[in-house]
Amino acid sequence: MEKTGAEILLQTLREEGVDVIFGYPGANSLPIHDSLDESPIRHYLVRHEQAAAHAADGYARATGRVGVCLGTSGPGATNLVTGIATAYMDSTPMLVLTGQVTTELLGSDAFQETDIIGITMPITKHSYLVSDPGEIASTVKQAFGIARGGRPGPVLIDLPRNVMAAKCEQSGVKNITIPKKRNARRKKDGGELQRIANYMNMSERPVILVGGGVKLARACEELTGLIEKGNIPFVSTMMGIGSVRSSNGFNLGFIGTHGNELANRIVHDADFILTVGARFSDRSTSIVEEFAPLATIAQIDIDPSSIGKVIKADISLVCDIREALTTLTPLAERKGRGGWLSRIEKERNVLGKDRSMKECGPAGAFIRDVQTAMPEETTAITDVGLNQIWTVRSWETRTPRGMITPGGLGTMGFGLPAAMGVKIGVPDHDVVVFSGDGGFFMNIQELATISYYNLPVKIVVFNNGHLGMIRQIQDLFYGARFNDIELGNKVDIVAVAKGFGIEADRVPVEDPGAGIEKMCAAGGPFLLEVLVDPDTYVFPIIPPGRSNIDMIGGRQG
Amino acid sequence: MGMRERIIAILVNNKPGVLSRVAGVFGRLGYNIESLCVAETISPEVSRITSITNADSDFIDKVKKQLNRLVDVLDVTELVPGQSAQREMILIGINLDQKGRTEIVRSIGLFDCKIISMRNDYCIIQVAGSREEVETVINFLKPFGIDKIARTGVLALRYKDSVS
Ligand SMILES: Cc1ncc(C[n+]2csc(CCOP(=O)(O)OP(=O)(O)O)c2C)c(N)n1
Repeated sequence: MEKTGAEILLQTLREEGVDVIFGYPGANSLPIHDSLDESPIRHYLVRHEQAAAHAADGYARATGRVGVCLGTSGPGATNLVTGIATAYMDSTPMLVLTGQVTTELLGSDAFQETDIIGITMPITKHSYLVSDPGEIASTVKQAFGIARGGRPGPVLIDLPRNVMAAKCEQSGVKNITIPKKRNARRKKDGGELQRIANYMNMSERPVILVGGGVKLARACEELTGLIEKGNIPFVSTMMGIGSVRSSNGFNLGFIGTHGNELANRIVHDADFILTVGARFSDRSTSIVEEFAPLATIAQIDIDPSSIGKVIKADISLVCDIREALTTLTPLAERKGRGGWLSRIEKERNVLGKDRSMKECGPAGAFIRDVQTAMPEETTAITDVGLNQIWTVRSWETRTPRGMITPGGLGTMGFGLPAAMGVKIGVPDHDVVVFSGDGGFFMNIQELATISYYNLPVKIVVFNNGHLGMIRQIQDLFYGARFNDIELGNKVDIVAVAKGFGIEADRVPVEDPGAGIEKMCAAGGPFLLEVLVDPDTYVFPIIPPGRSNIDMIGGRQG
Repeated sequence: MGMRERIIAILVNNKPGVLSRVAGVFGRLGYNIESLCVAETISPEVSRITSITNADSDFIDKVKKQLNRLVDVLDVTELVPGQSAQREMILIGINLDQKGRTEIVRSIGLFDCKIISMRNDYCIIQVAGSREEVETVINFLKPFGIDKIARTGVLALRYKDSVS
């Protein structure tokens, strides 16, 4: 039977399990929207394409499925860019569909033509320009394979309007092969795991460093198994949070600039570090030469380019993390590790048992109160800035997908649209997003989307009238010269929310009164504006150019 | 460590845009491509790219890993001098007067090259050989007044038995 390119596209998306697309139409994507009418796929109309990309990203992080977003050519496509880069940095599987001018106009600077493939080359895993409707099905299937495979990431398909409108005899697509590397990099274990196990078993002060790759590989249970069998304490990167329940007794917190002091100190003392699914970003390691100076480092990752890029591991293995852990755990000896664990406990006591909680001040206490008031299966999303650090440090993450934060790109404006995607992806879960006023304003238009679809998302906006995290940096490291960071308090955020049709309330952070309950009880979306003193910062913090154990404002602060 | 010429052979799918992805990796890592040869292999759907970069030893590892992230890259190998055949071809255009003309015709036989076009006032010479051989000819011809030069850049193939 003859079908249009758009129909083939949507049918193939269905076959790949797509139920939701976040998008925004334009002339060059219209054939797709025209056919969406007849597809069971639901289309959510956002208010800005950046939000479509973040929503697809949030959807993917919350469900583990590939998120799909759609924009038209030109400005629609360029508006997606920040969202694509965010997904790329955090390895989110995502399919980005862009309309494009007709094939005969390509390269002519036609109206709304941009070379979106060229623009996104460094921030996509791969991209395709489809020039023949007969190629659509196989291209889409390949794209899904690439987006999900190995280290996941965004794949873009650029779809010229005439190719979407053209009819073609659809031939069933059978097996799709993704081009194989000649000497496939994915080595089989050649004894590395046994050697890693030997190091681990012999080490006196082992630590496991958990990255975001563990969740992506769905290896959380396997990891917990290894930790508990070997009595091995663990730290995580910000992206690794949630891989193991944060209340697990072996959890030392997360490392790096805004991390937990205990985690940073223990990594410094460790004699062996098993790194799983982490890429040693500069936020995690600070000064590379001074990172874990005493440790033998083992690294397991699916992505060969993450190995040895920053820190030369003493022993490494390119492998699926779940497979690796399944083999490794039986090789790990049950050990008491009494000395090491009691040393860590001592350190924990010196630092103060629940210090990392107190460090986040009244905002941290507020976040914990919100969590207490919400159901167990609640997903927390953060924006970027102080609000992000307060949240990742104060929220007790109970499930692998329970905390969603844009760690790699640090994209302000991520939170609100990502929360929409999360709510749509896991409608049974409660969803709360914590944002600063700055980041909230960056995609504030999405209140309209939330209101239109009546998405019951809880929105917490910490309003300190400033770009708080930047203010802290200016305060500490730029002689308290507060330039260009004041947002002021002239905007009545509660009234704005109400104007969008969203219930809202305003409370001071120290005394939220009934505000939290009101938010939790709301049946629809609810915005809680939380007034915070602009001098409320995050401590301890590592000054620029210093190592992970040089946290300031820690013990004293 | 140590900067030197590094030759890399990259097998890629012969499709539009692939070269720019490959070149993008070099650029993003901050490396300059000194020479680049691209053409299809015995199977027309695969192209071989041979590139030279002046770089330290870190380069190979970094560039290999990043290139291998590209879906259309099938293989990346470093070609080390003693273990591979390396050749370059150049075309040299020379402005001639009567005297130069006689001299070039007389002496060119000393080298492994060919005159492929000869007019009264201009000739084009083809030179093929190793890097050194080619450089020797260029130096020899310089005094005659080289007008233009086109080089293929180095092509290289690994000897059959050498292990990488
Ligand atoms: C899109 C974007 N622009 C700029 C920055 C730099 N930046 C990082 S944190 C921050 C301040 C965030 O302020 P706000 O959203 O009010 O949150 P707070 O730190 O006060 O919690 C800025 C400007 C960024 N991360 N993202």
